[in-house]
Amino acid sequence: MSNKYVEMGLRAPVNLTWEVSLACNLRCTTCLSSSGEPAAGELTTAEALDLVEQVHQARVFQINFGGGEPFMRPDFEQILDACHSRGIMTCISTNGTLIDAERVARLSKTKLVAIQVSLDGASPATCDAVRGKGVFNRAVEAVKLLAASEIPTSINTVLTTQNAGEIPAMYELARSLSVSLRVSRFRPSGRGADNWEQLRPTPSQLLEFSDWLAKSGDVRTGDSFFSLTSQERQGLGLNLCGAAKLTCCVGPTGNMYPCAFLQTDRFFAGSLRERSFQQIWDDSEIYDSFRSLRIHSCEECTRFDQCHGGCPAVAWHLKNDINGGDPECLERCVTSIADTARIAAAA
Amino acid sequence: MAAAGIALHPACRVRREGFGLLFYDLRGPRLLFAETGDLIPVDFFEAPRGMDEFPDGVSARQKTVLQKFVKQLLDKGFLREQ
Repeated sequence: MSNKYVEMGLRAPVNLTWEVSLACNLRCTTCLSSSGEPAAGELTTAEALDLVEQVHQARVFQINFGGGEPFMRPDFEQILDACHSRGIMTCISTNGTLIDAERVARLSKTKLVAIQVSLDGASPATCDAVRGKGVFNRAVEAVKLLAASEIPTSINTVLTTQNAGEIPAMYELARSLSVSLRVSRFRPSGRGADNWEQLRPTPSQLLEFSDWLAKSGDVRTGDSFFSLTSQERQGLGLNLCGAAKLTCCVGPTGNMYPCAFLQTDRFFAGSLRERSFQQIWDDSEIYDSFRSLRIHSCEECTRFDQCHGGCPAVAWHLKNDINGGDPECLERCVTSIADTARIAAAA
Repeated sequence: MAAAGIALHPACRVRREGFGLLFYDLRGPRLLFAETGDLIPVDFFEAPRGMDEFPDGVSARQKTVLQKFVKQLLDKGFLREQ
């Protein structure tokens, strides 16, 4: 990733995360947005289609749809069709429970869609503890339907302390289903904040995962682990936070934020009901602040060039300090383990 | 024999940026930042064209640079021969 060009400022995001609805039929303990009931005043179909046209005019390459469960929106496939007819690539993050053969057949008509099915463990017991009873089997059925189609499909797993030991088994499960594995970072946002202490991976689990990731070049991470990225994966993705530089987020009611993990008033960039997508991208003060964000406290670190301070969202949620540096970066994991060992030895 | 044509790969997109052209490949996904300035309009890659077809007004030296650039895009999979 060339930071030089990114820092010059892009005319539009490369991709957009669009949380189309807060409605969800599950109540996952790791959910970044505490989804369940739809938000009051979610974008209407007409507003959503207008946003697709604005995104097209801005020449955004890809929209990553999330929520909530996107397929809970009755007009979601209409929104997808509007994207695909304009050549916009889409990626849908779904819990898989609303995927059936008819829907797969409809989605297969385009070559522009990819689908991620969430599965948070290699066994029903581990997965269902996070996602609800019976969800593992339903999600696996969805993956099988998708794998039999031409839709690029992946299993998406949020790394927690409970499933950290199952990640290699998740990889094998994905292989056995002929799909790829994507591992995402657990962040203390939404219900993830409520369950942070119980579910956060330990520093040693994060280090072990980093080592495993280094040997698993075909596993995608959505760039969410760049603060843990070892030398072996350099060049496979980002080495800095892309919020407001390469990506941004639209929430269910048309409010824009730097990223999906910072959908709070503090990081509100603008409302699509008041200003255009391009105006908010170009002129938002909060986006400007992210573009000029420098994590000075990390600049002396030997890994600074590899992560540039890591994820500001995690720093914000855990330390209330956007400039504080990622509390779960590789260096801090190593230091934390060393400190724990020293304290244990002293005792 | 007809000359080989080149076009943007169906999984790729390109747009204009201040520094030149920004290519995107969904298959990675991956990006390619091309510091082409104003040399190539964005629609240059949007329709199939011959390997030696370049925008009007391009000098011989610029053609050489562009040929090398097109070859790199082919090698990296952003363009494909048709």
